[in-house]
Amino acid sequence: MKDLLRLKTSLNEEIENILNAQIKVEAHSSSIYLAMSSWCDDQGYDFSAGFFAKQSEEERKHMMKLFNYVNDRGGKAISPEIVNIPADFESFRSVFEQMLEQEMYVTQQFNHIAEKCIKLKDFVTFQFIQWFLEEQIEEEYVARRILEMFDVIGEEGIGRWEIDKHIPKVSYEG
Amino acid sequence: MVCPLANFEELYRTDHGAVYQCSRQNCYWLEFAGDTTAFKVGDFLSFKKKIDAIDVSAMIINPSRTADFTIVMPFRTPRCFVLYINDVLNLRELLNGAKFMIELNSVVNECLKRTPHSLV
Repeated sequence: MKDLLRLKTSLNEEIENILNAQIKVEAHSSSIYLAMSSWCDDQGYDFSAGFFAKQSEEERKHMMKLFNYVNDRGGKAISPEIVNIPADFESFRSVFEQMLEQEMYVTQQFNHIAEKCIKLKDFVTFQFIQWFLEEQIEEEYVARRILEMFDVIGEEGIGRWEIDKHIPKVSYEG
Repeated sequence: MVCPLANFEELYRTDHGAVYQCSRQNCYWLEFAGDTTAFKVGDFLSFKKKIDAIDVSAMIINPSRTADFTIVMPFRTPRCFVLYINDVLNLRELLNGAKFMIELNSVVNECLKRTPHSLV
């Protein structure tokens, strides 16, 4: 009998669902970083506001990369509904702590996708997500390095102003 | 009535209906509640998801008369499904069976197309 299912899509349903869930995670990250950017701007942390705005754009690009992949493989990418984005944050430091937690969560999700790909023998998707796994090394490094600056520079006096000024300079050389 | 030009094969049948595959038009035909409806592959899978998402418990608990049934109008079909609780359960059973057969067919096709060395 003709295999209509594979003519329509090369993606296994479980993989399609897990990728759609990840699209939502990336969209959520993008929205949270945008909220953080706004909060930083409001609190006078100009460089951090710019940093988070850039992060937000990057997360959206990640979302679109996954979104296009699902559609290109014959699946159905779902535009996610994003809710519960906070507008206020406890402190300058807590914003970066939350960023690191978010990035660690994203890494965990990609590890879970990789595990699922191996289990279902979908090596094409496995290959596709390698880029994201590598990207996560940088994302976690940057967030962790910034948090370390809070200890190295200290928040007293002009400490937070100094930290804010140094944030765009934090980069991962690989 | 299934299209007379269709080259269809039965995928799954229950006491309440059947699902056929038309390999000429690349679509599935659903025979249910005295009528037949054609679905493209993607639409069939979306329709199944919609039926699976119906909250039968809420329908049972809700004392309102309008909660006894639900209306499903799949896009790109002329059909309107008015489903009572037992219809939802019967349709689910049929669609689950059909989906299993669709996936089984994929697995069988994949095995048949494998070259001998990939089986080692």
